Amino acid sequence: MSRVLVIVPAHDEAESLPRTLAEVRHAAPEVDLLVVDDGSHDGTADVARALGVPVLRHPVNLGVGGALQTGFRYAVREGYDVGVQLDADGQHDPRFLAAILAPVAEGRCDVSIGSRYVTRSGYRAPLARRAGMVIFSGLVRLALGQRIADTTSGFRAYTRPVMEVCQGEFPADFPDAPLLIALARRGFRLLEVPVEMRERTAGQSFYTLGKSLYYPYKNLVASLMAWIQRSH
Amino acid sequence: MFLSRTQLIVALGAVALALYVLDLVRRRRLSEEYSLLWVMATSTIALLGFCTPLLLWVTSLLGIVGGAASTVFAFGLGFALLMLLYLSTKISRLAQQNHALTQELALLRHDLDRAARPREGA
Repeated sequence: MSRVLVIVPAHDEAESLPRTLAEVRHAAPEVDLLVVDDGSHDGTADVARALGVPVLRHPVNLGVGGALQTGFRYAVREGYDVGVQLDADGQHDPRFLAAILAPVAEGRCDVSIGSRYVTRSGYRAPLARRAGMVIFSGLVRLALGQRIADTTSGFRAYTRPVMEVCQGEFPADFPDAPLLIALARRGFRLLEVPVEMRERTAGQSFYTLGKSLYYPYKNLVASLMAWIQRSH
Repeated sequence: MFLSRTQLIVALGAVALALYVLDLVRRRRLSEEYSLLWVMATSTIALLGFCTPLLLWVTSLLGIVGGAASTVFAFGLGFALLMLLYLSTKISRLAQQNHALTQELALLRHDLDRAARPREGA
């Protein structure tokens, strides 16, 4: 039985965190939990600690990629075989944990991505988001020769070797398409798994409105960079 | 001796800037690494400003049509661009280091808490 760590990056998520953590425990009692508090000001870390969940707290905000990487460092250090990234805001339904873990545990891939866009999902994204998704999955397809429909999904499982590689070079500011491209370029196999996603219950998304125009542009450039970057 | 008032102003300005750079180093406000670059740039511009024959020679060599003063500004602009690029790389590096330190701090803090309360959490 492989040891699984569910990494929950959280920035000001004190409100939705208890429910998310309880759901994970209910859906998958055998996995361990870790909350990475990314410089919150609303007592996110205390909420998690009160529930008996280990917490790593950044004194300053690094962004979701930085929080994820901290989780990877912990997972590798503590000897976990698989790391799962799961949002604190309740978007990711822990009932799909098993579905995301299965292909990784069976060795069918190194990174499995919970996808809203491959069949079975009831999720329908706003037009702008769909346009972005077409562009980025097109780019990923060009770079990798593989179709990844939901490049921005933050509901993923990673094997230990992936987490080890992510200790070093890691596109921390761009944990979506650029990360996928960087990982695939290192020879890791990606696989999409259909999941249903929910509306977030409380708190604020990492992707706020102000960033919604500039971010895709930055992300596009970062994706191209990940494509041409040399790995040492 | 001087082709234009601009040339004189630029030359004197470069000297003043060079002195300011040296003062910053003396007060340990600027590290040697950067001061070398700044001293090099300011003395090049001062040299071009004061030594008119050299300035005219460089201007004709590069085929600059805007006049000799343009040569001085071209050098200044070129240096400014390179310096900005260099600083961007420095900032990138600092950001990476900052990032790694923040993560390491979070991990160490967790270890410390766990060591203090061995029965809880883990």
